[in-house]
Amino acid sequence: MKGRNLILVALIFFCNDVELNQSYGQGFQVNFQGQKQQGMGCAGSSLVQDASALFYNPGGASFLNASEVNAAVTPIFGNVMFVDSFTNKSFRTNSPVGTPFNLYALFKVKKHHRLKYGLSITTPFGSTVQYEDNWIGRFALTRLELKAIQFQPTISLRITDNIGIGGGLVFTTGAVNLQKDLPIQFYDGSFGHAEISGKAIGWGYNVGIHFKANEKLNVSSSYRSRTNMKVTSGNVQFTVPESLNQSFPDGNLTSGIPLPSVATLGISFKPAKRWDIVLDVNRVGWKAYDTLSFDYALNSPSLLDTKSVRNYKNIFAFRLGAQCNVLSLQEEKKMMLRAGLGYGFSPVQAGYVTPETPDGNRVYFTSGMTVFLSSHFNLDISFYFTKVTRSDRNLETLLSGTFTTIALAPGFGLNYSW
Amino acid sequence: MKLFYCHIIALLLLALMACKPKEPMLSAHSGTADFSKFVAIGDGHTAGYMDDALSLHGQQNALGTLLQMQLQLAGANPTILPWLDPSNVGINTQQQARLILGYKTDCMGIQGLSPIRFSAQGEVVSLTQSAYIPNQKYSNYGIPGLKMIDMVSNLIGNPNDQKYNPYFGRMSMDQFVLPMAGTWSSVQENVLFGGYPTFSSIYLGLEDLLPYAKSGATQNPMTPVSGLPNVGFDESINQLLSQLSSNNAKGVIATLPDVTKFPYFTTIPYNGLKLDAASVVTLNQIYGPLGFAFHIGDNAFMIEDPGAGMFGVRPMLPGELILLSVPLDSIKCHQMGSVFPLRDEFVLTLDEIQQVQSRTTAFNQIIRAKANEVGFGVVETSPFYEKTNAGFVYNGASLSAKFVSGGVFSLDGIHLNPRGNALLTNEFLKAINVKFKSNLPMLNALNYNSVLFP
Repeated sequence: MKGRNLILVALIFFCNDVELNQSYGQGFQVNFQGQKQQGMGCAGSSLVQDASALFYNPGGASFLNASEVNAAVTPIFGNVMFVDSFTNKSFRTNSPVGTPFNLYALFKVKKHHRLKYGLSITTPFGSTVQYEDNWIGRFALTRLELKAIQFQPTISLRITDNIGIGGGLVFTTGAVNLQKDLPIQFYDGSFGHAEISGKAIGWGYNVGIHFKANEKLNVSSSYRSRTNMKVTSGNVQFTVPESLNQSFPDGNLTSGIPLPSVATLGISFKPAKRWDIVLDVNRVGWKAYDTLSFDYALNSPSLLDTKSVRNYKNIFAFRLGAQCNVLSLQEEKKMMLRAGLGYGFSPVQAGYVTPETPDGNRVYFTSGMTVFLSSHFNLDISFYFTKVTRSDRNLETLLSGTFTTIALAPGFGLNYSW
Repeated sequence: MKLFYCHIIALLLLALMACKPKEPMLSAHSGTADFSKFVAIGDGHTAGYMDDALSLHGQQNALGTLLQMQLQLAGANPTILPWLDPSNVGINTQQQARLILGYKTDCMGIQGLSPIRFSAQGEVVSLTQSAYIPNQKYSNYGIPGLKMIDMVSNLIGNPNDQKYNPYFGRMSMDQFVLPMAGTWSSVQENVLFGGYPTFSSIYLGLEDLLPYAKSGATQNPMTPVSGLPNVGFDESINQLLSQLSSNNAKGVIATLPDVTKFPYFTTIPYNGLKLDAASVVTLNQIYGPLGFAFHIGDNAFMIEDPGAGMFGVRPMLPGELILLSVPLDSIKCHQMGSVFPLRDEFVLTLDEIQQVQSRTTAFNQIIRAKANEVGFGVVETSPFYEKTNAGFVYNGASLSAKFVSGGVFSLDGIHLNPRGNALLTNEFLKAINVKFKSNLPMLNALNYNSVLFP
């Protein structure tokens, strides 16, 4: 036990510097928390296959028969192109490869078979987007980095043979770094720059209930609460010509950003021995993100507190997938193949599309497989693809054009149970 | 085997990174217009006059130059200008260099940002040497100070005449081929010499108004609305457009904005006279007998107005304008505008503003009517200037007509800076696209310099 925890801690430390990348979920949501789910259109909250149930539905975790550790990473290769509608010029991002990850540890309680406890460490929100130098929207944004890591200690109890409930406290630690150019020019013609950075923490919870109707049908419901990430000791730094230094004082700032609630209804159905079909419906409470405000400790006539309207709306996402055991029904020799797709509505309303989250309604496709190397050990891989196109004229910056995003995300996971 | 897999994985990663959205194939076309022999005709705006001088950098970012650059996407001829010296010192008719923003210490010993000359003297030699090259046609006849009525003038190319315009003189063919006795060629003759343009852009008329307004309505009378070519606005534009539209040639012509809204006239507030208790006492003693009272804080400046009572002095009224030519140190330290009223040449009164505005309106009516007659497109500049006066957001940047900080006007408060020229160019492009069904793309104005700060 102790040894394993040490490994976990080491992994967390190693991963603390992860970069996330937009374009794999609505808003700045990242829906990559389990390789098996990712193979099936990111659905499967009601099909308990591994310790990722801690995240997807704490109520279902109690249905796992073994103790288990699970680690996975999903590098995201995202490319955004913006075509300005007035100049016809196109601009691209050169964002770093995103690396959302998840670590799960789920343990049996020896004398209480119905009780499980565990810890999940996930990155369900985040975004790093870096636009090419001198792009047309440079005065709106040049780079945004939003990182969030959620720690969720969880208890799951199977209250009857058919019903499991569970819950966990979610502690989120995050960091934000936002940069843009200022339309103020030095003698050499170069532009000023502003960089806002800060760390944030927030608290929330994750609860769920799992109902096993019969051997063929499972239904589950879960709710991950909203987390208000508060930036209490942020910092703003200006690079401006010397004669304007007093107009743009460096200093502290406060801000905040909400991570929205996610309510999920999941159904899994077993039409035949080798087959599973899963459906998840998410309701994401993006309405919480109505304004992005920065309150500067030092103001000047040129530097006033800003309130930038985001006006996000609550959205639905529908995710459908299936898996098939293609080799053998024996535990050690199974091999699962998966495929799925999903449709997500964008929380970003017309007039509010920003370079931070060039988001649109999206269709995505996924596939995946699990290879069972032994009765204790299995290896997951998954693959995700989406292309999103969104045209808009932002009401605040009046930047007008079309964002096209292509994102590919191959995922890899290891699962050890005993 | 292991090496083999490593290669496969590396290839896969490369493939993943290479999957990018494809750029749309968009090509500009000229619609029903033919840009192959384009010429820009105008005053300092078209030439690239800014920061109170003409310089190479200004020419490169001139209205005419930027417009032609976009027209070249749909077949326009190469840009040929009488380029000035790469030293970028700049030159105006008072032999001065261009303005830059620098530090200046005022009469009270306070150092602050202020327009200052880039160097003690302008690139004088540039205006005295001919830039004319035989068999090479300029594509930009932007000439600082050029009026609508000057197009057929035989005097502005004559170095011995009082009306001589050295910016024109250096590019006129006469500088190379000596004219017959007494017949110096006009701007129009230069434009049409060696082949008529197939497409022209015209932004003329501001200089028919500005010299009067800039003198505080004391001299340089405005061009009369009607009169013969070289005298009146209507016949001058008439003959110009009938020449440029012959052989079914096309073009656009711009209407004129309200020049009294330029920062040159609006930067100093009419009530910018800040008084303390002691000054209030002094001024009330002086002006009390005339019935004028002062108070602590903001007061209206005192101005000369021959029509104002026995002493010809009165406080300014809201809406009246103080010109940027006013000596600010005299206001700050020598009681100009208070004990000593502002001279007429530094002020536009309500009546004078009205005169300029109604003349502008009359010119614009003529411009629209004549353009329609010959099938030219009309570039309405007023909406752009009004939007700028109100302030607007453009691709995330706030822009306005405010002096220095607004980011659109150059440091002379009259001419636009490169960014302003790019914005105005977009108005020309929009008008061309609408009139001639072309699809020329706009410029990203933020790629062009604004005021540079030390």
